[in-house]
Amino acid sequence: METNQFVAIGLVVAILIGVTAVFFAAGDPDGLESTAIVILGEKDLFGPTPEDADPEAVGHEGSFEYEAPMPDYSMGEEGGKMGEVIAVVVGIILALLIVFGVGKAVAASKH
Amino acid sequence: MHIPDNFIPLWQSAIYWVIALIFIALALRWARNELDDEKVPLIAVLAAGIFAIQAFNLPVGMGTTGHLVGGALAAIVLGSPYAAVFVLTLVLLVQAVVFGDGGITTMGANIINMGVIGGFVGFYSYQGILKYAKNPYLSAGIAAWLACFIPALAASVEMALAGTYPLVEGMIAMGVYHAAIGVIEAVITAGAIYLIASARPELMQSSLGATA
Repeated sequence: METNQFVAIGLVVAILIGVTAVFFAAGDPDGLESTAIVILGEKDLFGPTPEDADPEAVGHEGSFEYEAPMPDYSMGEEGGKMGEVIAVVVGIILALLIVFGVGKAVAASKH
Repeated sequence: MHIPDNFIPLWQSAIYWVIALIFIALALRWARNELDDEKVPLIAVLAAGIFAIQAFNLPVGMGTTGHLVGGALAAIVLGSPYAAVFVLTLVLLVQAVVFGDGGITTMGANIINMGVIGGFVGFYSYQGILKYAKNPYLSAGIAAWLACFIPALAASVEMALAGTYPLVEGMIAMGVYHAAIGVIEAVITAGAIYLIASARPELMQSSLGATA
């Protein structure tokens, strides 16, 4: 398969996975957050996660907090599913471009 | 498995950043030696795919979801653990800076867990298992499971050092959840490697060996 074709098909597959993820992804917290909720005593190891559980409550006070422009892969509450689709597609393209750019720059530096 | 900012005290985060930077420098050296104009677009699209599979929160039961890491996938496809460090570092950078997934101060720890530990465990366990299993897809699946499970245990040790999780409770919960998530990681990694090997067999000759 030609490189251009491989990249085009790969990008389409990535975007399809990302968009599917927006509509089919489960809302429960991931493993690290679930562990935090277990540690906080709000969840059993094998039990369901309560709606109002806050995994960040296990963290340390007075630490650095960074505000991301598209927090949690969304455009905020009013952005809805469309905002999430935009966010995930932006992320996929950014990942592609940044690895392409750094890869090109590093590959060019050997001359 | 992305650790948020306030889960690790700043001074400990700084230590993880220093260790991560050493591996990033080695990964850049790998990239300078290995990447050419032909391979750069391929690694870029692999990074796009890894970003996409990480975005998928798959239900694993127990009130928990899992997303894939992709460290074993990158290391096996590109034939080096440093490939995983290179790709995962840049993917984690986008995730933290643009989407707030994983902290900025804790990015060093996240790079160590998913990129360095995930990449090295994925690559070397793949090589070792392949010798006996003789099947690249089965070997890749087992390696991917280990490359999800072992970084999760490493993260729980870091959480214990940070005073965020108690050691035993943290290791049990992280271990149980990521043992389940790792099964999905194993299936998707083996499938992705099969598809990439079918589309671009020459890309993977060095990692699949004569058995492919």
